[in-house]
Amino acid sequence: MFRTTLRTVVLSSLSLVAACAFARQDTNEPLDATTVAALQAGVTTARDVTERLGAPTEVVQLGRRTAYRYDATSAKSTVLFLLLVNFGNQDTRSDRLWVFFDEKDVLSHYGVSFGTHRTQYAMPWEDVHEASDNASRDADRPGVVR
Amino acid sequence: MKAVRPLGALLLLIAAGCVTGEWNRAGLGEPVPRERLEALHRGADTLGACLASLGAPERVFEHDVAPDGSSGVALLWYWRDEAGFGVDVSAGREEVPGSVSFDFVGVDLPGCVLWFDRDLVLQEWRSGLVGDLLPRRVRPAGLDGG
Repeated sequence: MFRTTLRTVVLSSLSLVAACAFARQDTNEPLDATTVAALQAGVTTARDVTERLGAPTEVVQLGRRTAYRYDATSAKSTVLFLLLVNFGNQDTRSDRLWVFFDEKDVLSHYGVSFGTHRTQYAMPWEDVHEASDNASRDADRPGVVR
Repeated sequence: MKAVRPLGALLLLIAAGCVTGEWNRAGLGEPVPRERLEALHRGADTLGACLASLGAPERVFEHDVAPDGSSGVALLWYWRDEAGFGVDVSAGREEVPGSVSFDFVGVDLPGCVLWFDRDLVLQEWRSGLVGDLLPRRVRPAGLDGG
């Protein structure tokens, strides 16, 4: 009898004290996919790139070549507070662009990844990397799907 | 009745917020699909082809610098998707210092590295833990007249 009462009290307490928290943290503006698509190897110069995209977040020397990094990050956090246990999830993804220049500061290569639009509020048991989720979010962001 | 006392004490600690169980998940970026790495051709694929297949890396490094200042390139991708249980124990009072937390979430970061020669052709790729893949950080090579 006592155990049943205790169990009831515990379960009732759990339901009464539940709370949720959501947080979002963004760093830098997401990269503009159409601006990135306009970059042309052999034509675009380092000056053109900085005029279009602004100052890079990082410059790396590669012998006589250089590479610039542009990025933006989005993190979404979810916490479910219960009396006995808390469930938390943080999903962090980024847009990244690396542009490579030859020794004359002309663009030779670039690589880009878009991820900030894919972050999700979720519980820890949920899969936030489902291909169908990614595809539908990509479709909603102009210039990402080519 | 003897068993009820420790249970009651535990419930008191839990109700006071002194002991909390946690289940957390943290995701950073998205894994590079293994099949895309295995589709790369050493000695044939160029930097441009690899960037088109894998997107932008997280980090770019100088690699294999020659006396004339030319250099190869190393690209690093890393990601994280970790989930685990933990327990947080704290006094909850300012005059009682200390807080202990314990969790089962690992700290190793999986990733992959691609090395390109001075002609920017893929030499080698490896996947594993980032700490095992990369040599110690070094300063960029000095250049004549620099």
